[in-house]
Amino acid sequence: MFEPPTASTDQQPGELGLVQWHDFVCREEFVFDSGQKLPGITIRYETYGELNADKSNAILICHALSGDHHCAGVHSFHDRKPGWWNNIIGPGKPVDTNKFFVICSNCLGGCQGSTGPGSINPETNLPYGRDFPWLSIADMVRAQHLLVTKHLGISCLYAAIGGSMGGMQVLQWGISYPHAVARLLPMATTARQNAQAIAFNEVGRNAITRDPDWNNGNYGRGKGPQTGLAIARMMAHITYLSDKGLEEKFGRGKVTAGSNRSPLDAEFEIESYLRYQGQSFINRFDANTYIYFTKALDRFDLFGPSGRLEDALSAVSARTLVIGFTSDWLFPPPQNRAIVQALLRCKKHATYAEIDMDLGHDSFLVEAPELYTLVRNFLSV
Amino acid sequence: MNPPVNKHNKRERDLQILGQWIENGASVLDLGCGRGVLLDFLHQQRGIYGVGVDIDPAKVAVCTRKGLNVWQGDADAFLRGMPDQFYDWVVISRTLQDLTQPAAVINAALRVGKQLAVGFVNYGYWRNRLATALTGAKLRNEVFPQSWEDTQPHNPVTVAMFEDFCQRHNIQILRKVYLRGDWHARLSLQPICAQATHCTCSRGADSYFRSKSN
Repeated sequence: MFEPPTASTDQQPGELGLVQWHDFVCREEFVFDSGQKLPGITIRYETYGELNADKSNAILICHALSGDHHCAGVHSFHDRKPGWWNNIIGPGKPVDTNKFFVICSNCLGGCQGSTGPGSINPETNLPYGRDFPWLSIADMVRAQHLLVTKHLGISCLYAAIGGSMGGMQVLQWGISYPHAVARLLPMATTARQNAQAIAFNEVGRNAITRDPDWNNGNYGRGKGPQTGLAIARMMAHITYLSDKGLEEKFGRGKVTAGSNRSPLDAEFEIESYLRYQGQSFINRFDANTYIYFTKALDRFDLFGPSGRLEDALSAVSARTLVIGFTSDWLFPPPQNRAIVQALLRCKKHATYAEIDMDLGHDSFLVEAPELYTLVRNFLSV
Repeated sequence: MNPPVNKHNKRERDLQILGQWIENGASVLDLGCGRGVLLDFLHQQRGIYGVGVDIDPAKVAVCTRKGLNVWQGDADAFLRGMPDQFYDWVVISRTLQDLTQPAAVINAALRVGKQLAVGFVNYGYWRNRLATALTGAKLRNEVFPQSWEDTQPHNPVTVAMFEDFCQRHNIQILRKVYLRGDWHARLSLQPICAQATHCTCSRGADSYFRSKSN
């Protein structure tokens, strides 16, 4: 049960309380980077706070692989948890909804309301499945740009903010639409994934496609390769944490109760935690989206054919703050740092800050005063 | 007794001197930029394009509030990633004592910057010598306030040592200012009378190209 909306005070941030999602139905043809087309797309999104008269206070939040448009507040007072970034977004919080109009949309290709592989193909009346066009980070950003400019009528974002895959979208915003965004705040991200990150994604995809229920991506709603998807999630979840973080949270702690356990039952707390993560993921996520999103992550490469990050980043005109986390071994600090150094080699306005936290890649989602201060400071000028 | 010197007027003097040297619109890299006081000043007074490097996350956060460009990390790692002669100026102001490999950083700074401005407090200031000789203990005064057990590793560099270093590394000192004990009047006397110094260094053209071809 979640508290109803509360206003912020000088000392204490408030809560957004009930929020609602909306659908932007775009009936124009959408052309993907791959050249494939859809006759139209739907983008599900939420907004918090008030857009000011000159539409200059809009902040776009970009979600990560398993995230969605619901980043703050609750849909019902019976929700077990608020939106995924509720700790940073809200009245009086670092992304202050008293000052800013915050927008967050489910990425194109997603499975939480935006057009994706699970949507119905009007030509066949069946889900697109693997007929859905190949998707890139730039495609997701192009869809967000339509939402922001065409639907919401905002010509320039005050800022775009996101971690991990969201950070890639933020960078892509600065490159694709340099005049439509004034500040970029990517964190725990990379300009391209190293072999290790691609390797983990490939194991996840294999878990899905080798599940007997995969059926080449054709399956009905609520069906499909659920075991494979749960295993993909369990493994990926480990890469979002860290040795130290896991040790502090679980250590070798054991699940109590039941003495006559089979060796296949969850014995350690970490096992039961991962099983829970896997199970809850299959209730909300689609295996095809998982494959399309991880492929978009793997193919994202701002170094481009020349191998020079500057070629892509020279287009950026926004001020940029990149935040890396010391214990992030998925997109480690050097990969975050490299983005800023390349921006500075282009004589851009950019800052690199690093936060010393033990919680790995997912550190950006956790309450941390250092992160809050950086976000507040960056957004204040 | 030392003439009264406070943190504020020391900083003012540093800013004045560097503000006179650095031209309008220059690109400036400040190694050990701290809270960005110099960069902020140069940005407002001289319209520079500035970048700071600092290892301290709290100071980086303060720079972010001022809208400055900062890179959190080691100076040498940052310099390695930058092309030759990229900035008009590199500034090492009151950071020299805290570097682990001063020679490597100075040489890299001379590669990355067209000119290097170095400012540091003179450990060889006569009052410092006298105090050390008399007490036989680690120097402690307004400029070096901490006791030995509270300090980071520290290079007690003197004006004479620095000038000798420049000579050995074929670094030309183009301009220098010695500041008296009150941190105010400039001196043309022996560096032993200086409590602090600022100088502009550049690699002799000859040596710069030689070092590139190596």
